[in-house]
Amino acid sequence: MDYVLDLGAVTRHFGPLLEGLWVTIQLTLAANAMGLVLGFAVALLVLSPVRLVRLPAVAFVEFFRCTPAIVQIVWFFYCVPMLFNLYLGSMTMGILALGLNLAAFNGEAYRAAIQAVPREQRDAAVALGLSPLQSTLHVILPTALRLAMPVLLTNGIVIFQQSALVAIVAVPDLMYEAKSLATKTYRPIETFTLVALVYFAVSFPVSQVVGWLERRRAVAMA
Amino acid sequence: MHLDFSILPRFADALAYGLWLTVRLTLICIVTGGALGFLLALARRSGSRLLRAVSTVYVEFFRGTPVLIQLFWIFFCLPILLGVELSSFVSGVIALTLYTGAITSETFRSSLGTVGREQMDACVALGLPARVRITSVILPQALLRATPTLLSNAISLFKESSLVSAVGMADLMFVGQNISNNTARPVEVLTAVALIYFAVAFPLTRAVAVLEGRILRKLAV
Repeated sequence: MDYVLDLGAVTRHFGPLLEGLWVTIQLTLAANAMGLVLGFAVALLVLSPVRLVRLPAVAFVEFFRCTPAIVQIVWFFYCVPMLFNLYLGSMTMGILALGLNLAAFNGEAYRAAIQAVPREQRDAAVALGLSPLQSTLHVILPTALRLAMPVLLTNGIVIFQQSALVAIVAVPDLMYEAKSLATKTYRPIETFTLVALVYFAVSFPVSQVVGWLERRRAVAMA
Repeated sequence: MHLDFSILPRFADALAYGLWLTVRLTLICIVTGGALGFLLALARRSGSRLLRAVSTVYVEFFRGTPVLIQLFWIFFCLPILLGVELSSFVSGVIALTLYTGAITSETFRSSLGTVGREQMDACVALGLPARVRITSVILPQALLRATPTLLSNAISLFKESSLVSAVGMADLMFVGQNISNNTARPVEVLTAVALIYFAVAFPLTRAVAVLEGRILRKLAV
């Protein structure tokens, strides 16, 4: 290999990369906030005894889980403005697309967790005369949230990585800045390696925390 | 706005061509990635500290970075490092194999963990050589337990493979985007593409769920 590495080509342009990382982090946090709240609502709808409520929710979840995220994002950016005559900023669109995707995946996590909430707890809630809303918010949600936490966090990391896809529709996130920097400097190896390491540096610690939580739970259950 | 889905049949051939590339890419990488994943899982459980460290770093790295950047890396950096031109199909296969290997190794690792310690002891007591121990005792059981997750991984791979459109491979997504740009009818075309992906992936997820129930019942007996 007669290729001389020049890390300076990348480090000289750190500004745009940092801005890109900030956009990526904003996308991730906003999508997670949306996914965590909307996901729980989706799970409640999926578990609803009313068919008319359940079916659309199930269709929503299955559709988002069974199509590629990149198709969803491109669809969102091209079709939503045309279909609904709705023109939003690219950042908002990115958050909505990623947030809906995450809501579908988190919905599944919440559903499994809600079903794992012990029957006695619901009975107790009824016996105490809690309204359905009260028992959902104060009995089911706290327990389900605890049970679902490792999966929710893992989904959160996955969406951090998936957020790189918005680079394809020209949202200036970390991936987008990396692409344009690699093209501008003709230094793809340095740029992509460094940016991959940046992504890794963010997601690795979080996944370690998830592993730690799971081990702690395994011990607590035993 | 006015939707006209009647333009779609004209592009059926092109979409079928794209789907065929997607399917080929997926099937090849299921096999290569599965094999790599199994080897990695063995390496992560090996007695050698070096093997363990290298395989752990590999798996964590590929799981901790976006697939898109892995693809870009393989497409733009690997040819420079190796000094050879790789066809885009080969690059796509390499990138998705490396990624699938990391994902699959985790599946194998947890299923290997469920093969009881006694079985290993029994193998040693019977004096089985390491190769027989792996291929005739550990592998069949680990494979059975890992099957549902492996199949789910395969479905994920089918979806993830759409990323190769970003590096210009003519898969279903790429063909769809091209048609959508040329006809200026993104709603019809992209919806159709999404539905094609769905039509393949959804029945498979149902089948996996059914199979999982059967395997669980079988293992419980």
